[in-house]
Amino acid sequence: MLIDRSQRGWAMASLGILAAGLGIYLPYASISPAGPRGGSAVGLLFGAAGFAFMLYAAALGARKRVPTWRLGRAKAWMQGHLWLGLLALPMILFHGGFHFGGTLTRVLMWLLIITVLSGIYGALLQHLVPKRMTSDVPLETIYDEIGHVRALLAAEADRTVEACCGSFLNRGGRAAEGKDGTWQRAGGFTALRPIAASAAPLRTSAAVSAGASAAVAPAAEILLLSESESEPLRSFYSLEVRPFLERPEERGLRLSDEARAAGAFTALRTVLPSAAHGALDDLAEICGEARQLRRQERLHRWLHGWLLVHIPLSLALIVLGAVHAVMALRW
Amino acid sequence: MARTRTTKAIAQRIDLNYFKKATPFKRAKLWLVVLAPLLAALWIAWHFLSGDHRVYSSGRLSPAHAVLEKQCEACHVKMDGGFSAAARDSACLACHDGPGHHLEMTASGAPKLPCSECHTEHRARIALANVRAKYCATCHADLGRAGKGSQFANDIRSLSNRHPEFLALRPENGAPPRDPGTIKLNHALHMKAIRRGPNGPSVQLECGDCHRPSPAGDARWEYGDKRYAAAPVRYTAADSFEPTRSRGLPAKRPGSDRKLMVPVKFANACAGCHSLAFDKRFDEGVPHDRPEVVRAFLVRTFSGYIAAHPAEVREVADPGRSLAGRLAGSQGRTVSSAQWVSERVAVAEELLWHKTCAQCHEVSGSLLEDVKIARWDAAGGRGANGVPRQTSANLPAAELPSIAKARTRLEWLPHARFDHDAHTGFSCTGCHQNALKSAESSDVLIPGIAVCQTCHAPGPGYASAECSECHTYHDWSRRTEVKPVFTWPALRGGGS
Repeated sequence: MLIDRSQRGWAMASLGILAAGLGIYLPYASISPAGPRGGSAVGLLFGAAGFAFMLYAAALGARKRVPTWRLGRAKAWMQGHLWLGLLALPMILFHGGFHFGGTLTRVLMWLLIITVLSGIYGALLQHLVPKRMTSDVPLETIYDEIGHVRALLAAEADRTVEACCGSFLNRGGRAAEGKDGTWQRAGGFTALRPIAASAAPLRTSAAVSAGASAAVAPAAEILLLSESESEPLRSFYSLEVRPFLERPEERGLRLSDEARAAGAFTALRTVLPSAAHGALDDLAEICGEARQLRRQERLHRWLHGWLLVHIPLSLALIVLGAVHAVMALRW
Repeated sequence: MARTRTTKAIAQRIDLNYFKKATPFKRAKLWLVVLAPLLAALWIAWHFLSGDHRVYSSGRLSPAHAVLEKQCEACHVKMDGGFSAAARDSACLACHDGPGHHLEMTASGAPKLPCSECHTEHRARIALANVRAKYCATCHADLGRAGKGSQFANDIRSLSNRHPEFLALRPENGAPPRDPGTIKLNHALHMKAIRRGPNGPSVQLECGDCHRPSPAGDARWEYGDKRYAAAPVRYTAADSFEPTRSRGLPAKRPGSDRKLMVPVKFANACAGCHSLAFDKRFDEGVPHDRPEVVRAFLVRTFSGYIAAHPAEVREVADPGRSLAGRLAGSQGRTVSSAQWVSERVAVAEELLWHKTCAQCHEVSGSLLEDVKIARWDAAGGRGANGVPRQTSANLPAAELPSIAKARTRLEWLPHARFDHDAHTGFSCTGCHQNALKSAESSDVLIPGIAVCQTCHAPGPGYASAECSECHTYHDWSRRTEVKPVFTWPALRGGGS
């Protein structure tokens, strides 16, 4: 969620609450002989407010789990999560008088600090990463489907190169397939298993790109090279393109880098007959799309990776905070 | 043929059930969401079940109570049927007595503060007894409002905030503060190089030659005299020192005997230079004692001398010596031993009462008006037989002078305590700056509160400025003994 003018109301309200908190805390801290304490009336007030903000912020997760609940707009919940969650930190600092106290309270303070900081970090990333994603990954797909799409790209590349060179690949199976050899596509129909290039070399690039079956592919063109002519392409494909499409996360792959990949394809173009240049362009495009998917994966991890810290620690914070509230009143 | 991409084609490659599949990221998030609160709950449950309540502590205990860190129940006593187990005064008083503040305050019905009001535990390794000034200021900032009107200043916030000047330095009835002591001492003169005797070496005294925080005998007194120090004296502390006017509450522990300066005594600090010689026939001086003791010493000493030297009863006046501006007769005379002793005693006393003693003490008495220095009657001339008339010998025993009580003040801060021993790293004149220029005994030479405030102030880089540095809250003169509660080593093992 972008923090923009639409959140001015929340921002002003939060500033007002913070100012009111400071207005209470500063005289209290200066007058109180023992200094600010969590157990004093004012300290308890700040503690209750801070914990209430934390509970509200944590309730966003429950709200997301059940989106059908009519408990206000999701946007309002997210804005409240951002601003009240942020306010929880100063309230709890006022509660403890900027002291971390004993073991449990120290753990709580660090949990809160890490949770709030990770939230701020996540909010900043929400401002930066989506823009980057739009510019760097025009072929963005659903993150969870990246592996599947990458497998489709590999299959498409297989077919493209086999259309030129004939069957030479030794495949162990297609990763893009469902358990039963089918998968449900967007559009609501189940596609047939794609036909191996060697078995049915007649397909267009568009059809291959879509992962569609031969049944939906328009008429094909056949571009077979001789054994000697296709050798550089087969070698390049086996040694560089296929490994890159299967394991793009590996380091040192030439095709991972856009400039080096362009150099490699240009060099290959000089040793292949012109009839194969179309297939070579398709391969370059497939590799470019695979690079984008790799880029999307990285950006996605930046965009959502902080949640692996933020959410679990916030839940631990709520659990321990409740224990602290009960035990502090007892002792 | 070039590769083409359509929206439909792109959409078709998306598995509609993709959100049902567990990706590594989703799996990791799920595990962490379950594990983190679970681990937190297990951690706290483990502490709870093992009976270790320290985890709930709001901070480390003070060093004095550190041994009780595992014994929460020692202070946190759960009341029957109640939920709260907050620390109560009864737990504190089981080990410590906590007598009230000033008796008049407690008698006035002012509410007794709970122990934890001032001695707040779980504030890390702090000295629990060093209560912050703010606590004291809750009442002392406005004693009138608190209904505790008293002799003390009505509005004191801290050492640096509205603390009045020390009582000894405050003007009294418009007059500047005075040192009540009667010993005549010119500090400025003594702090310069002094010739020790007519032909003695020049010496430069230091403060420590006369003023020391250590008890006498700890170190050699450079300008003292062991014979005087060892001699018994008839005068008492009441003759020497002003009665203690301490109005502050006594400290819990007496503290070191180096807090106050050792009283300056003639035997330790003066006798090395200020001789009490009384006659050229004797090397020793008179005792530093009451006048009657001095007179008895003189009579005894001269009597012993004339018994050993009977020929000296025949005297010949020294024509070259002028006494009181008149020439003595040239003839000699013979006196009885008793008269000889009487005359010598009179002359010695003349010297002592008028000069030697009066140099430092306030000496008074009718004798001083009539005393005659000469043994030969300077005014009366000669008798009928041409022999000079006797003077002193025929006089009745002279009246003894009165030596004013020294009234040396030992305690200058009656409401507080100051520990010289804690300040030995600093030069004396750094604080007692007036000592270098004081010429009068009446000058008060203790440093003012501003001197203290240069080092003792709030904030980092300063020494503690809490009230408890100098003042005591509990009236430990009214302390009572407490019954032991804990048994060692059961305490360490978890018992009590």
